[in-house]
Amino acid sequence: MRLRNLVTETESASATETSKTFRQNILFHETRHACTSVALLLCGSNILFSFLCLSFLWLLPAFAEARPIAALDGLEALRAGFAGISDFSAEITQEKKLALMRRTMTMSGTVRFKKPDQFFMALNPPYSSRMVLKDTQLQQLAGQGGVPNRIILPPDQGLGRWFAKLATPVTRLPEGIDIQADLTHNIYTLVIRPLSSGQVKGQIKEVMITFLKDGTIRRLAILEQNGDKATMTFKNLRRNIGLTDTDFQLVPIE
Amino acid sequence: MFLLRFLKICLPLLLLSACAAALPPLTYNPALALETLSAAVSISITTAETGMSASGFLVYRRPDQLHLVVLSPFGTTLMEVFARGELITLLYPGKSVAYVGTIDELPTSGGLRGWRMMRWIMDAAPSPDNRLNTTLVRLASDGSQETVSYEQGLITTKKNGVGDQVYYSGYTAINGIPLAAEIDLRSSTNDQIRLLLAEPEVNTALEEAAFLPLLDGLKVLPLSEIKGL
Repeated sequence: MRLRNLVTETESASATETSKTFRQNILFHETRHACTSVALLLCGSNILFSFLCLSFLWLLPAFAEARPIAALDGLEALRAGFAGISDFSAEITQEKKLALMRRTMTMSGTVRFKKPDQFFMALNPPYSSRMVLKDTQLQQLAGQGGVPNRIILPPDQGLGRWFAKLATPVTRLPEGIDIQADLTHNIYTLVIRPLSSGQVKGQIKEVMITFLKDGTIRRLAILEQNGDKATMTFKNLRRNIGLTDTDFQLVPIE
Repeated sequence: MFLLRFLKICLPLLLLSACAAALPPLTYNPALALETLSAAVSISITTAETGMSASGFLVYRRPDQLHLVVLSPFGTTLMEVFARGELITLLYPGKSVAYVGTIDELPTSGGLRGWRMMRWIMDAAPSPDNRLNTTLVRLASDGSQETVSYEQGLITTKKNGVGDQVYYSGYTAINGIPLAAEIDLRSSTNDQIRLLLAEPEVNTALEEAAFLPLLDGLKVLPLSEIKGL
């Protein structure tokens, strides 16, 4: 539903071509043990929504044959898949292409999640930062010797509330979003485009998520209206490993 | 008592640090000046009301052009700052809003106040003498009075007439030009902006487009309507 605020009339033909090319490429190079990726959508400044996408997209169950996949089925599969996870940790690589500056930033780090409402993210040097979220309490730390910042999110953006919503099955598609999905061999691709209304465009132009057939997400790409592109790749993902509260503390950056 | 114990334990360490700080003078070429800078940046803003920390990317062209991209933890763009002379544009893609105005229209307190002083902060050319250790009072580029401290020819602190203070540390010489990797602004109202630069490039060609905000599809509002950071 958040994506309703991210509407756009422009559907990028070039971006679609890029996604086709990418799929063709990885069809030949992918293996069942390829690194996992995690999906995120940043809708406005809503970090929680992004995190939810991240949290359960990698759990998508595999589909048996190459065929278009109904968007509703895909969303419900996400929800159902997430029901089987109590915690996870993973290494991430995050790449940001800045269109105006013609630069690419590549960051790496780790993420952790624990039900019902805890999230941890740490980025390695030279972009050292830490972020801890416990329901509505967000703590951030940037750089060595930095001072932690604490932000209290509105109650309706609390992580626990979002997961409570996920307890009910998905029976209808969110409005204002075009979703396309296909499955070719072991590669599942989901392309999400916010639809537009009016002159004011949202931040997100297109989100493309590519999964292996066994449910492992291979890659996520978020194309923004300004031409910037953010991708996130996950690897060494471990689920249900018994993370504790100590794994979600804002430790100083060394 | 606690303080005494703390000092007993930490004083030797502090002294060691002080010894370590007495490094040989940084070798730099006084004839060269910083004209452009591009670098990844970690930014931390702390005010009485709120705070934020984020990574981003900065491009700067002397004397007064700047473009800063602030990223969300997940890599999308949270905020962009464009400054050119007196004109400043704050762009929030997630809200599809851009605030445009002059630097004088920025709030006089809070995290945005720091941008008022960006030109003053970036004006930190080293002394021609790389052994200079002194504190002096001089006129800043805008004609106001400032107190400047040098260590080994490099500016370590500047303070203006109203009590804003900026600290420079972590100097390295890039192509003969000294650059502080850490810039820490403490405003007279106790707001703090801390910038950590990484992977800097100095005096490389920067395209004009890098300093021009793209406002298509955004709602453009006057800077006076901005609230928060």
